[in-house]
Amino acid sequence: MSVAVRFSPADFEPVTARRQLQVSSRPSLSYWQDSWRRLKGSRRTFASLCAVMALGAMAVAGPWVWSVDPAAQDIDQISQAPAWPSSALIVPPYTPWAAVTATPTQAGDVVTNLRLAEPASTQAVRLVWEPVVGAAGYVVYRSVYDTAPDRALGLPIGEVLGADQASFEDRLDLEPRRYWYSVVVTDENRAEQSAYAALTVDTVRTVSAGDAELRGWVEDATVLAPGDQIDLPYHPLGTDYLGRDMLARLLYGARVSLFIGVVAPLLFVLVGVVWGSAAGFLGGRVDQLLMRVADFVIALPFLLFMILFKIAFGIGPGESGVFPMLVALVLLGWPSTARLVRGQILQVRQEGYVAASQLLGARTGYLVFRHMIPQTMGVILVTLTFAVPSAIFTEAFLSFIGMGVAPPTPSWGSMANEGIRTMLSHPHELLFPALIISATVLAFNLLGDGLRDALDVRMRGRE
Amino acid sequence: MMVEQPPTYRDPMSRLAMRQLLWLGALSLVGFVALMGALAWASSITGGSAIAGRAIDVETGTITRALAQEPPQLDSTRATDQASIFILGHVMEGLLRYDASNRLVPGVAERWDIRPDGATFWLRDDARWSDGRPVTAHDFVFAWRTIVDPANAAEYAFILYYVKNGEAINRGELSPEALGATAVDDRTLEVEFERPVGFFDKLVAFAVYFPVREDFYRSRDGRYAADAEDLVYNGPFMMTRWVHGAHVRLEKNPLYWNRDAVRLNVIDMPYVTADTGAVVNLFKDGSIATATLGAEQLDDAMKLRWNLGRYSDGSVFYIDFNFRPERLTSNFHLRRALQLVNDSGELVNKVIGLPGYLPAVSLFPIWLNGVEGPFRQEYPPPVVIPDLELARTHLELAKQELGVAEIPPLVLLTGDAPIANKQAEYFQNLFDRALGLEIRIDKQIFKQRLDKMTSGDFDMVAAGWGPDFADPLTFGDLYASWNGNNRGKYNNPALDEQVRIAQNSLDPRTRMDAFGEIQRILIDDAVQLPNYERGLVYVEDPRLKGVVHRSVGTDPDYTTAYLVENP
Repeated sequence: MSVAVRFSPADFEPVTARRQLQVSSRPSLSYWQDSWRRLKGSRRTFASLCAVMALGAMAVAGPWVWSVDPAAQDIDQISQAPAWPSSALIVPPYTPWAAVTATPTQAGDVVTNLRLAEPASTQAVRLVWEPVVGAAGYVVYRSVYDTAPDRALGLPIGEVLGADQASFEDRLDLEPRRYWYSVVVTDENRAEQSAYAALTVDTVRTVSAGDAELRGWVEDATVLAPGDQIDLPYHPLGTDYLGRDMLARLLYGARVSLFIGVVAPLLFVLVGVVWGSAAGFLGGRVDQLLMRVADFVIALPFLLFMILFKIAFGIGPGESGVFPMLVALVLLGWPSTARLVRGQILQVRQEGYVAASQLLGARTGYLVFRHMIPQTMGVILVTLTFAVPSAIFTEAFLSFIGMGVAPPTPSWGSMANEGIRTMLSHPHELLFPALIISATVLAFNLLGDGLRDALDVRMRGRE
Repeated sequence: MMVEQPPTYRDPMSRLAMRQLLWLGALSLVGFVALMGALAWASSITGGSAIAGRAIDVETGTITRALAQEPPQLDSTRATDQASIFILGHVMEGLLRYDASNRLVPGVAERWDIRPDGATFWLRDDARWSDGRPVTAHDFVFAWRTIVDPANAAEYAFILYYVKNGEAINRGELSPEALGATAVDDRTLEVEFERPVGFFDKLVAFAVYFPVREDFYRSRDGRYAADAEDLVYNGPFMMTRWVHGAHVRLEKNPLYWNRDAVRLNVIDMPYVTADTGAVVNLFKDGSIATATLGAEQLDDAMKLRWNLGRYSDGSVFYIDFNFRPERLTSNFHLRRALQLVNDSGELVNKVIGLPGYLPAVSLFPIWLNGVEGPFRQEYPPPVVIPDLELARTHLELAKQELGVAEIPPLVLLTGDAPIANKQAEYFQNLFDRALGLEIRIDKQIFKQRLDKMTSGDFDMVAAGWGPDFADPLTFGDLYASWNGNNRGKYNNPALDEQVRIAQNSLDPRTRMDAFGEIQRILIDDAVQLPNYERGLVYVEDPRLKGVVHRSVGTDPDYTTAYLVENP
């Protein structure tokens, strides 16, 4: 029995390969696109990236926007906390005041008729009184608290010797506020009587027309007459211990601090990456040689080299040492990065995909940049983010010992170092530079953290 | 082909991390507060009863205080620092001493006679060492010979150059036995002078002139005054305990000739620290009876309603110029221009702002005495009124004389203390604003600054001088051309002439006239810019009375102090 098999011509057509067995449901993303996607997606990282960019913008453009001279000393507003703008009354220039003497006519252990010789101002408070017979002298006290409850007279402002002395002029650090003055009589053994005469004084902020011109508040002093009001320069973040504008100093300080804090780590991490990957990749004798050089450099004392560079560059006392600082940081900072990167490269070199890639004919450059550097990116970024704050702190320390920025150039570190002395009485002088250093360091740390996640090839494609 | 939008990335990890962060933050805050609370509670238990009230014990006559620094040793022939001089002033006594009103009164010497060529001191017979042996003239002779002996290299040897042959012995030209001080007998000391010295009575009250007993000194075998038991005392107190770096205790000396006048029994110093913050906290706790305040503590002190006192510590601070010919500051007009914009009143009142400080107007501080009254009242210094126009005129003259279009940057050498820093930056801004001068600040530690001052590596230097004895000469000879402390090498024969008069004359009027003239030259020739006279603000337990604060000598002095139950 025969079976008839029927063929149709269609059966003899060649089979075509099905080109598309799979269709990707998502668009193909390059490494950088993927990284950017992850970076954008993490709000924390994105915020820190914005913060870092804002800091950069502040350093570049800030001093133009807030164009106050960071070195100008507003002697009348020293260590002022942030406050609303204030104004001052124009008064005639300060003239020395001859001490008032009077023949003592009254007996007793306390002066009478303690009064102001003229209206009290921040220029001077002039006190006069009726002296007493037999006094050896008078001690004048001033307090910012009421003296009445328990005879707490406050600061001993001054002492005049002689029974006939009947006046005292106080010019010490006067602010527009209420003061409680008291005058105590001393006997011949310089012992103070317990009784005292008291006077409450409210001072007004004043300035002379000449001083206003000298300080650049007005173009021409002759337009001002005594009794006029003049607006004082406004310091939104207050002033420091020499009356310099904190905001202007922070903005200028950003230039120095961020320059050192960003440029130095970038440079030395770059050097370290090249050095470390060369050592790790090439291996053998080259590795030995390169790493021994790194060991040698790590043993060099930073401060000594900083001083040597300063001398080598011919930088004398009182000149900025920022450039030698940069050179010293770069020349001495790279070995730690190099060590880490070398270790990582050695590890990655053993991986199967590297061998596969090599077998497929990848060139060295391709291997390093395609496989090894991305694998070490995490380590590099961690080093970088730790290097940024440490460089900012190094700058602060060096400025403090006089090796860094020269006064009056501000940097955040030197501002913090100066502010710490008055931490209790004027906390804002420490608070603002400390806050901005902390914020910068935090932003760089978070950014580094986020970048590590974003750039890590092992995280690729993950949420 | 259908393209799907990549799903929006919501980062659930970050939300979790944020929550964790908030939790941990809150937890650590609570933990911190709890820890602080626990510590405060613990300190209230221990401190409430045990520490409070230890500052003063009226019944036993004990006061407790802190010591800023420990003396390196207590050998009066080698003492240079304030701590040594403070303790020596209590445990030893010289020929003369200062009383509570800073007048010279008899010490070991009962009577004395000072002549142009020498002096005689008659010693009291009841002056005793703490081991019961009498204090004799030989003890003074031995001490003074030890100081000038070059083998001992005493830093203060120059202060004995007034005694005959003192300088020659110190240079190694004569043997120490040639010193012009001889013990005629146990109770008569005869001194020959190198040159007339009108203030020898003030010198012998200084710690370096204190006696040292030869047999005891030798018996210690090089350990003299290194410990409490390595010293024999002749002062109002004696040291009974010295734990190095930790504790010094002084007790009343029962053999002191004037023991009835000493009313305190014990001065206990169980804290050795220079940190004013720590010392003020000890005072707050009631652990110590007195504390010196820094600028940071003033507000706090007012708030706590403490009774504060102030006194001048005697030193004067100023800016010195470099007069070496290659330096621009050797030009008079340049110095004059700087002098005419300098306002020490503004510096002290606005920038420094410490109540103890006085604006300086002269090298000679306000507390020095002249012929009868205060020196500065008898010889008022010429007044320099800041004048910007005149200053700029002088600056132009200076530029012409120096032949420069612009003055190159000047170096201002300064110390590393906060106040020095503030002052230097103030001057930097002042000279720039007023005269357009660029000032470079060279900040150095004390030793380094001294080296640079000596080698002349500066244009201007912020310097200061503390008095060694209460005579204007301690300041007056600073700018003599031969003085080693004249770091700027100022050389003015007219001034040298006045210094010689002041050194060699015995007549107070002639001497004070000479100092008045020196003061005038210093200001008229703009030799230095006076900045401030330093003062200190302190707080004392109100039950402690009669403590003497001095510009020169033992400071503070508890010899006359006493305690009261209810102030």
